[in-house]
Amino acid sequence: MTSDRRSVTLRWLFLAPTMLGVGIFVLLPIIGSLVLAFFRWDIITAPQFVGLANFTDIATDPRVGVSFLNTAVFVIFAVTAQLIIAMLLAVLVHGRMPSWLRIFFRSTFFFPLVLSAASVSILMRYLFNESYGVINWALSLVGIPAVPWLTSPQWAMVVVIAVYVWQNFGFSFLLFIGGLGAIPTEIYEAGAIDGATGWKKFQRLTLPLVSPTVLVASVMGIITALQIFDQPYVLTRGGPGDATRTVVMVIYESAFRQLEFGRASAIGLILMILIMLVTALQFRLSRRFVFYQ
Amino acid sequence: MASPSNITRRALLGAAGVATVAGTAAAWPRLTGTDIPGRGEDALTILILGTSQDAAGRQVIADAFMEEHPDIPVLIQSVQATDWGDFFAKILTMVASGTQPDVVYTATEGAQLFAERLALPLDDYIARDASQLYDYFDDVHPSLIEAFMYRGSVFQLPLDFNAANMYLNLDVIDRNGLEMPGEDWTRDDFTELLRGMHGDATPYYWTNRLFGGVVPWLYIHDTSFLVEERAEGGQDFWSTFYPGEERSGGYLWTGSNATDERVHETFEYLRQLVVQDLAVRPEQGGGNTLVGLFASGRIGTTPAGGYWVQGLAEGGMEPDQYDVQFFPKWRTQRHQFGGAGYAVMKTTKKADQAWEWIKFTANKRAMELAFPTPATTPTRRSMATDAFYTDGPEHWRRFYDTLDRFPTSGPIPAPPQQAAVETALIRNVSTALSGDPDQVARSLDTLDRDLRAVFAEEDRS
Repeated sequence: MTSDRRSVTLRWLFLAPTMLGVGIFVLLPIIGSLVLAFFRWDIITAPQFVGLANFTDIATDPRVGVSFLNTAVFVIFAVTAQLIIAMLLAVLVHGRMPSWLRIFFRSTFFFPLVLSAASVSILMRYLFNESYGVINWALSLVGIPAVPWLTSPQWAMVVVIAVYVWQNFGFSFLLFIGGLGAIPTEIYEAGAIDGATGWKKFQRLTLPLVSPTVLVASVMGIITALQIFDQPYVLTRGGPGDATRTVVMVIYESAFRQLEFGRASAIGLILMILIMLVTALQFRLSRRFVFYQ
Repeated sequence: MASPSNITRRALLGAAGVATVAGTAAAWPRLTGTDIPGRGEDALTILILGTSQDAAGRQVIADAFMEEHPDIPVLIQSVQATDWGDFFAKILTMVASGTQPDVVYTATEGAQLFAERLALPLDDYIARDASQLYDYFDDVHPSLIEAFMYRGSVFQLPLDFNAANMYLNLDVIDRNGLEMPGEDWTRDDFTELLRGMHGDATPYYWTNRLFGGVVPWLYIHDTSFLVEERAEGGQDFWSTFYPGEERSGGYLWTGSNATDERVHETFEYLRQLVVQDLAVRPEQGGGNTLVGLFASGRIGTTPAGGYWVQGLAEGGMEPDQYDVQFFPKWRTQRHQFGGAGYAVMKTTKKADQAWEWIKFTANKRAMELAFPTPATTPTRRSMATDAFYTDGPEHWRRFYDTLDRFPTSGPIPAPPQQAAVETALIRNVSTALSGDPDQVARSLDTLDRDLRAVFAEEDRS
């Protein structure tokens, strides 16, 4: 065996376990789901080929439309809030402060991310309870009447977004800390000589220089947020009515509550295509606002 | 300066490879699922909803059974789930993966799903062993059996049940100078009672679920959100075990009744309670939270079954701090109940052994082992005693009396498509009760549309 051939064989050998894992646990389910989208299947009886019926059912089901709309609203507000909060806090922490305080803030902001979304949501459900929640109790101390946080269609989505942002901004925060650390200090020194301070420094120097990080954080943020399930499922079960029902919740309910696995697969397929389109669009648009040094 | 390592890259990679192979070999039983207790053993597998502690709790019954039937090893398995719908979904997944149990403990919510698709009718076994079962049927109210009949066949022998009774917090009642209502109280009496409750306790707390939600109110208004019919059949069974009883072959829920005028009136009544701050919105509380709030005097009234007695005792509530009353009367005083029992899976190869298990668990000794505390209401009337309700409310007899006093009481409406029906109901209840009067009509129209879609789906398949 020549050394080139041996090297190629070795490469495939090292890649094999990962490829096997991806093949079995990623590609096969995707293909299975793709096929299932054209069948009606309730697990117990044999699958029945229905062509495009699942897709036409979805198109005419207003609940699915509402879930896509809810998910869009959630993604827009949650990802925007997450990016803004993460960037501002990263800029603050990146500034002058004792190193022990910096470590404290970094750990504190990242901490919610290591908790399970379900346990955080259970805790938040207690905090936001209208009758006995701590938040309404605190508001009552300053004379504000009880707010139906989780039981009014207007407030429920706000709470879901707030809980999600609180738990997840730590990841974007870490990305921004990394991005800010990579900016050469000479650029700021040159800017200082030109008189850039405060907001101007942030707008003209920091923001363009961390734009690649904004792209990464927004791409990852949107992909994750489009798959939102845990928080609304535990906090509101999609309610009141359909006010916080998201696409993945409808997929779960279709499959595991209504035993319509074909329909669930069809919605999953649409979501997957949507995620791919949004991501492609982001990269396309990034040419206009991302600045690489 | 760091000293160079003697370990070559090749040696390191080799060690990593060996470690990977060794790790995989060590984890093989876990990877293949062969370490799951009982997997591969030739035991009768009994599946219950609950934790591993719940399974351990039932082991005492399994031990007693194996003493009597040493040739039938039994394995109790538990599946944790958020509710019955989740539990059924997990069982169906087990069926799909070929690891289904032999026997499943299931409630009214899943009785018809099991009867139609998964369970074995017990009629032949019951007829064969009739002489051993008179004692059970003599002791169990026929309404409970009828609820577990499907299209003329018996699929389960119910072992525990709970009717939706009204719990009243005597601390709240006394605090407001009110009186405990009588058994024949009306819906208006109930409203007045709530209006008399002031202070920081919520007068009426309810949960947005099938049990304890809107259904008991629909039943007392002599209606339901589904069309309720009765199946034919079962005459041989009734004449054998309940002579003189004119019962059906089980309940059938055949379509939507959501736009019925009385359904609208019921929803509007409940909406008024919410608007007037006499009741919380539907989604609040539930489960253990509700028990805790009631025990701490934050709730005036709430519907629940006998299963609350143990929870309230554990929550520190003394028997004289609360009492239980029948649901108030509107057009009727028909109550809602739900029960549970073991069903034999159609796919089992141990049907005879499974029947022995069912027969055994229905005898009084086994039921006393299964229900040592009032964490539910045993279906055997003879088990409802002072000794059982030592820590219970003064009128604990009402838990079982509900069936005797209101023999038309019916089970939770749970057709085979129960999960989809429940989802549609809960979703639309919350919008109906959270808006203006017009919203009630709109939500019921949506509920009607959702339910029609569920039943149409069933017709197609």
